Amino acid sequence: MKLNRYLKDRWIELIAYIIFGVLICFLMLAFAVNDELVWLFAVLYIMLVLFNLIWDFTRKRSFYDSLISHTEQLDKKYLVLETLEQPQFYEGELLYQNIYDVNKSMCEHVKEYQESLNDFKDYLEMWVHEAKLPIASLLLMCHNNKDMMDKRFAEQLRRLDAYTEQVLYYVRCEHAESDYLIKENMLNKLVAKVAIQNKDDLLENNIDIRVENVKLPVMTDGKWMEFILNQLVSNSMKYRRADVQSQIRIYAEDLADRTVLHVWDNGRGIVASDISRIFEKSFTGENGRTHVKSTGMGLYIVKQLCRNLGHTVEIASVQGEWTDVSITFAKNDFLKM
Amino acid sequence: MEQMKRILIVEDDEGVRRELEALLQNAGYEAIVLQDFMNSKAEILRVNPDLVLLDINIPGLNGEMLLHELRKDSQVPVIMVTSKTSEVDEVLSMSYGADDYITKPYNPTLLLLRVGAILKRVGSAGVAQSQTYRDLKVNAAKGILARGEEELFLTKNEMIIFQHLLDKRNSIVSRDDLMTDLWDNDEFVNDNTLTVNISRLRAKLADFGYEDAIETRKKQGYILI
Repeated sequence: MKLNRYLKDRWIELIAYIIFGVLICFLMLAFAVNDELVWLFAVLYIMLVLFNLIWDFTRKRSFYDSLISHTEQLDKKYLVLETLEQPQFYEGELLYQNIYDVNKSMCEHVKEYQESLNDFKDYLEMWVHEAKLPIASLLLMCHNNKDMMDKRFAEQLRRLDAYTEQVLYYVRCEHAESDYLIKENMLNKLVAKVAIQNKDDLLENNIDIRVENVKLPVMTDGKWMEFILNQLVSNSMKYRRADVQSQIRIYAEDLADRTVLHVWDNGRGIVASDISRIFEKSFTGENGRTHVKSTGMGLYIVKQLCRNLGHTVEIASVQGEWTDVSITFAKNDFLKM
Repeated sequence: MEQMKRILIVEDDEGVRRELEALLQNAGYEAIVLQDFMNSKAEILRVNPDLVLLDINIPGLNGEMLLHELRKDSQVPVIMVTSKTSEVDEVLSMSYGADDYITKPYNPTLLLLRVGAILKRVGSAGVAQSQTYRDLKVNAAKGILARGEEELFLTKNEMIIFQHLLDKRNSIVSRDDLMTDLWDNDEFVNDNTLTVNISRLRAKLADFGYEDAIETRKKQGYILI
């Protein structure tokens, strides 16, 4: 709160003080009051005015200044009232009460949305679980009647399955409190599982898959990691090039303080200008526009899941040549004790 | 021939149950479906299966509680099956003594792999049986088939294939099953490599005096005689 603005704001009051002070002095002189008494009155009058202004200014300043500075410092600004003392002057009390009411109504409003969003997420999760039953039946049917069924049925079914799974993980990846369990997992087991799940598609499309040096333990959640790897492998399959023998290489680096898993492919790669935004939600980029339909959600979910699990995920690529996605797992000696 | 392993399916979804039954029967197991969910535990004990596939969301007692009860009287291997992918369920199931935990929709190949793995583990517990093929002693760990002093060395892939054919001796093994087994052992071969591996294995066996040990059944797979 600035003094000059404060004074400027009360200019009528100040002018009234001056006019009345001067007027009284003149009247006293006109009635031939003792000069010394006039002086005494003038001094007392000025003191009264100053006292009045200073007292009013300081008590208001202490309230408004802390209101402003707390608001600036807080990252959840709507909580500012909780940090303030009740003001001791009437205008302040009005303001305080008013902000309080506004705040409260907004909180209730937000809560309503939050609840309806949570209800929706719960429903979505339940729906996915229900939808998995017929998918499971169909997958088994395809497997049981392999000779009669066209292979394309199973292929489309696996796509449907993958998209359904993606919804589930999307719902989960955005609230960090989702249930996951970090324990020691062998990378080669995870990789083999994911490879077998995609076996038919890989063989059908004649894609070479090479797995090297993955017999390493990492601290992660098995199921989430499987989903992540599945997503990366299916991306590699999706964005392969038609003019070369497609290849996917999965290998790991065992470093002193971390383990880095790479999923490398010789697909069509990513244009350099898209790389920085590739993990953004709904970002489809050039590949999504020009070649295969893309939702722009896969890598976003991968990134979020990795963040929740405490891994980092990075992507490097040369357009038209290769793409390399690497996931870094921290090594924690403390967990082994 | 060895007696068929008996697997009990505890699953309340009609469609899944029917297909699961067919899947297990095709894979050479005797599949039985639990009918009475109100007396699940008594039913399981009565059927006395070699393995139970137990869904968590079943009427009556839920799967986890059923497992808890079951463990008081029986150590039969149990694989929990669920459509929920919640870690809480998994931890709870494991602590109640489940042998494995699979989420729907299960990949049929993976499901069969897990079933096979658990039955094998239970079956081989205690007895380290050494397998033989005709007059050949099989040393799977070293990849050696031995006849007296003579030894035949197989590569890792050839051994996996031979072992699989031997386990299912006299019945047809599909290329897909062989492929899955190889992939499960971290050998991610393609169709050509599988063909090459099988013909090499054949040639090696032929050199050793076993012509036509492996027969090809058109469109079905291979069979070890």
